[in-house]
Amino acid sequence: MFTCKDSIDHLVHFLDGELSPEDEAHLQEHLGGCPPCVDFVNTYRATSGMARRALVKKMPAEVGSALQSFLRSKLAAK
Amino acid sequence: MTQPGTHDDRALLNRAQAGDISAFEELVGRHQDRVYGLALRMTRSEPDAAEIAQDTFLSAYQHLPEFRGEAAFGSWVHRIAANNALMRLRHQRVRDLVVEEPAEPEFTDRGSLAEYPETDWSRRADDKLLDDELGHAIQQATDGLAEGYREVFLLKDLEGMSYEEISEMLGISVPAVKSRLHRARLALRQAIDDFYKEV
Repeated sequence: MFTCKDSIDHLVHFLDGELSPEDEAHLQEHLGGCPPCVDFVNTYRATSGMARRALVKKMPAEVGSALQSFLRSKLAAK
Repeated sequence: MTQPGTHDDRALLNRAQAGDISAFEELVGRHQDRVYGLALRMTRSEPDAAEIAQDTFLSAYQHLPEFRGEAAFGSWVHRIAANNALMRLRHQRVRDLVVEEPAEPEFTDRGSLAEYPETDWSRRADDKLLDDELGHAIQQATDGLAEGYREVFLLKDLEGMSYEEISEMLGISVPAVKSRLHRARLALRQAIDDFYKEV
């Protein structure tokens, strides 16, 4: 049976669906009796999505204008 | 990873490859936010991100005749932008080397978590609006990830690149990519957990 550490060490493979059937069974067995690890897995899984939303960046309008001018000058020279 | 109208990109790409500059400009308009966002997240510098966007689209234009369309146009320019950003980071790293591994959770001698998560805040991840302060905390934690870990996290979890692509771009093995990704996710998860402990 996995410990908390074993379970957390295997999370990347677990979320990618790449655990062996044996390790998957060990992990599920551990999660079945360890609510803190269930919370840990849920929050680990949610982290990427939260980061994606927090780190969205749009190109500022002035940078977009400068990009357009830059490309026009370069493309026109060809 | 969602990309702007891949099907419509194909028609614009065909026109651009035939010499229609306005079609290429439309492609740029469709993808400039993603390219700029990637460059800014990677370099943490607005001037660098603006230059990388310029270099990326110019390079894409210059190589249009060689682009055969095996991948979507968006994926292709994204990869060019990522390579440009990585080259810039490598150049900076020679001057300013920082190697500090992200912290892992602490465990007892028996392998149990030494500290339990504050709450299962994953349910709040679907909130329409992320609290500005939380967004700032995530930004700071991401910026604070050690070089090598930050790039892997950004390329995999934000840009949606494959392990194999990242392995090739960074010159490290796929297991090393997965290991760095895990450590980066753990550090960011901890930063969000700390945030919820304080509010």
